[in-house]
Amino acid sequence: MKAKFVKEKALSFLLAFPAVILLLAFLSIILFIGIKGLPAVNWKMLTTSVQKGGIFESIVGTLYLLAGTLLIATPLGVATAVYLVEYAPKGRVNRIITQALNNLAGVPSIVFGLFGYVFFCRFLGLGISLLSGWLTLTCMVLPIIVRGSQEALRMVPKSFREAAEALGAPKWRVIKDVVLPTATPGLATSTILGVSRVAGETAAILFTCSVFLMKGLPSTPFQPVMVLTYQLYTLLVASPSVSFDRAFAMALVLLGVVVILNIFAYLMRVHYRKKWKW
Amino acid sequence: MREPTKTLALSTSMLIAGLLIGTFVLAPTLLPNQGTAQQLFPQDSAWRHQSIRVVGSTTVLPIANACAIRFMELYNATSITVEGGGSGRGYSELIDGLCNIADASRKPKQSELDAARQKGVTLILHEIAIDGIAVIVNPSVTEDLNGPLNLTLEEIGKIFAGVYSKWSEVKEGLPNKEIKVFVREPGSGTRATFEEFCMEPFGFEVKTGAAQVPSNPAMRQSIEQAHYSIGYVGLGFASNNVEVVHVARENGQPFYAPTYENVKEGIYPLSRYLYMVTNGIPKSGSLTDRFIDFVKSPEGQKLVEQCGYIAIYPKE
Amino acid sequence: MHLEKPNFLCLKDKAEIILFTVASASILILFLITVFVFEEGVPAFMNMGLSNFLFGQRWAPYYKSFGAFPLLYGSLMIVFGSLVISVPLGIFTALFLAEYVPRWLGDLLKPIIELLAAIPSIVYGFFGFVFLAPRIMEFFDLSVGKTALTASVILSMMTVPTIVSISSEIISSVPKEYRKASLALGATKWQTLKSVVLPAAKPGIVASILLAFGRAIGETVAVLMVCGCVPEIPSPPWNYFEPVHTLTAAIALEMGEVPWESLHYHALFGLGAILFTITFIVNAVADLIMKKAPKGAVQI
Repeated sequence: MKAKFVKEKALSFLLAFPAVILLLAFLSIILFIGIKGLPAVNWKMLTTSVQKGGIFESIVGTLYLLAGTLLIATPLGVATAVYLVEYAPKGRVNRIITQALNNLAGVPSIVFGLFGYVFFCRFLGLGISLLSGWLTLTCMVLPIIVRGSQEALRMVPKSFREAAEALGAPKWRVIKDVVLPTATPGLATSTILGVSRVAGETAAILFTCSVFLMKGLPSTPFQPVMVLTYQLYTLLVASPSVSFDRAFAMALVLLGVVVILNIFAYLMRVHYRKKWKW
Repeated sequence: MREPTKTLALSTSMLIAGLLIGTFVLAPTLLPNQGTAQQLFPQDSAWRHQSIRVVGSTTVLPIANACAIRFMELYNATSITVEGGGSGRGYSELIDGLCNIADASRKPKQSELDAARQKGVTLILHEIAIDGIAVIVNPSVTEDLNGPLNLTLEEIGKIFAGVYSKWSEVKEGLPNKEIKVFVREPGSGTRATFEEFCMEPFGFEVKTGAAQVPSNPAMRQSIEQAHYSIGYVGLGFASNNVEVVHVARENGQPFYAPTYENVKEGIYPLSRYLYMVTNGIPKSGSLTDRFIDFVKSPEGQKLVEQCGYIAIYPKE
Repeated sequence: MHLEKPNFLCLKDKAEIILFTVASASILILFLITVFVFEEGVPAFMNMGLSNFLFGQRWAPYYKSFGAFPLLYGSLMIVFGSLVISVPLGIFTALFLAEYVPRWLGDLLKPIIELLAAIPSIVYGFFGFVFLAPRIMEFFDLSVGKTALTASVILSMMTVPTIVSISSEIISSVPKEYRKASLALGATKWQTLKSVVLPAAKPGIVASILLAFGRAIGETVAVLMVCGCVPEIPSPPWNYFEPVHTLTAAIALEMGEVPWESLHYHALFGLGAILFTITFIVNAVADLIMKKAPKGAVQI
């Protein structure tokens, strides 16, 4: 009998190893970027124009890209989720749309890049522009937002809806005034997660919206934009300079943005789950 | 239960609204001050507010980049967008009307001439610099050699074609190790020029096992890091961490190092012009015209030399 | 209770019509992607024959040779390598998190592991290229650091979180009754896990592995920077110490400079079509497996 328990204990210690390896891997990347990146990141670099060796326009350009994608994808995604949860929770339509979304979620980002180039840049004639980037990234991020929104909407208790209907409200009013406001934190979480996915995206914007150097920020959505991920990519692969300082700084900023967004989404999720303990 | 929900929803929407306002309204105003414009040609100032797009060779990229930055400093309402991607991309975009100037480190290929003719595009090549292609090897290759590695164009071709698989087969004194060949991506002008000198005349094709790298700096880094490797870069990209090959045109001819002087005097075999290509002669006074003039001007040519290339036009 | 049977012909309010139209955008997008990617890729297939394209051994666009097989092989090779690392690592970590770790610690560790998945691929590429590749070169005394092995390691770092998060949820959701019954029969915890819990969780775990496969094969930037970009099958074919080239890296490397509508351009779209098909099939299979999963399984 004792042997069995010793074996048990031994196994549970062994099982800890893989988790430890994972955590070490995570730490090594963070340290790698952090150690070299922190000294290189300073207020000056963040606010100096790219033309002078800083990364200001890349940061703002990234924000432009994210903001636009958010503006387009969120209404689309939430509306889709509302339809799927409120109007067609079961049945053929639901299955087809859900299947399409699952497939979209699995498409590699480079294929989105190819599609974006041939459809938005060429076929629709938008050229290499912020707008093409927004549309391409919307296609990419849609499944994430829809899924998250579905979950958020489902967590709204039925009793809320029933109470509103009992008071005589038509369906769309129930959704607009009761379900959506209740689900808002969850919707926001899914949006933030979608945005963080897009913030780190390189392959899809490679030939659809970003450039190596341009003057300042795009003043219309029909102009291209400088984005952190693409700048980092070109810096590492095609830069005339030898030092990696700027690269580390950019990588750190990118990492920081993504980590902060994820932590924020996580905190919202935790807070939100605590609330809805019926 | 409604109250906390409302506040949370309110605060989230305020957060998002703040983000959007900050991004679209405040950021442009925060853009660092660009200095004052110079009043040199007050009469014909349309070009001062135009924008152009310059795309192409990664070899020419440092020149285009440096000149664009300087030009925009001098005339700061102009806008010049610079992009790499290779000479192939430059020609392709110019022919499709997607850019104003194509940077090219080679002359157009027949297929590009055909495509241009088909679309009614006239390719005008402006020579802006002279460049040499240095064939570089990792120091591990020449460790035991006394003196530089001397190769003819054909021998170089054979190495890249895989006729030799180990360094010891090429010459005595070289290590008995497998040759690691590095080449550029298919659209590279540097590659095209290299193959024009070392491969095509002998009917060679680069061997399948060659590694592809996307740019001159990437090539240099690869050769610096990989033992027993060989590759090629534009003159300005060779560094102290790689060994350069001394090249002779044929057996019996002297071997020349890829130095500035040798390229300038035309005795180094692997030399070429760097071009900025336009669709037709640029309209006089347009931004395209003025930018190319700037690159050819003494100040532009000084930038060319700073980038490690050789100026064509007199500097002072 | 408003579980109306959906009916294409009787969409009731205006609101429903509008929402339905918006929702069908996802179908439209998928349709458009399929159409355009294949439309641009098919000319390449027709020009040289589908089997020549798929199984041709030489990818040399410079010399007009478009055999995609070395790329396909490279992609599959590094994905397989990454699964070899990430599957055991992922499943055991998932087990550990679900079964052996107190709730509070598990709740803390899981988001951290999910954060690993959120790190942008360019950062992974950077890490691989500047840190991992030289280390692997030194450690195994190779002449190049960018190899199939390096790519596999980086890919496994990127896909392990997928396996861990999905598997741990699946394992947690195996009904408690199963475990209790097994323990009541005198089995130890480990025996329970091995013979009762894991088999019950198998469909979900397999689905998570398939999803990780799909993500890995579609990864572009990180792979481009560490795979070596040699479009040749290593010799011998299982030699992970040699550089390789992949479908995704070839597209990213060459797409920027192809003349519009040239054969090379169509060939790259052909590669995209191959990628799309593979991920489509893999995702469909994963979906099917999840549908057949026992009750209580988590929707991915």
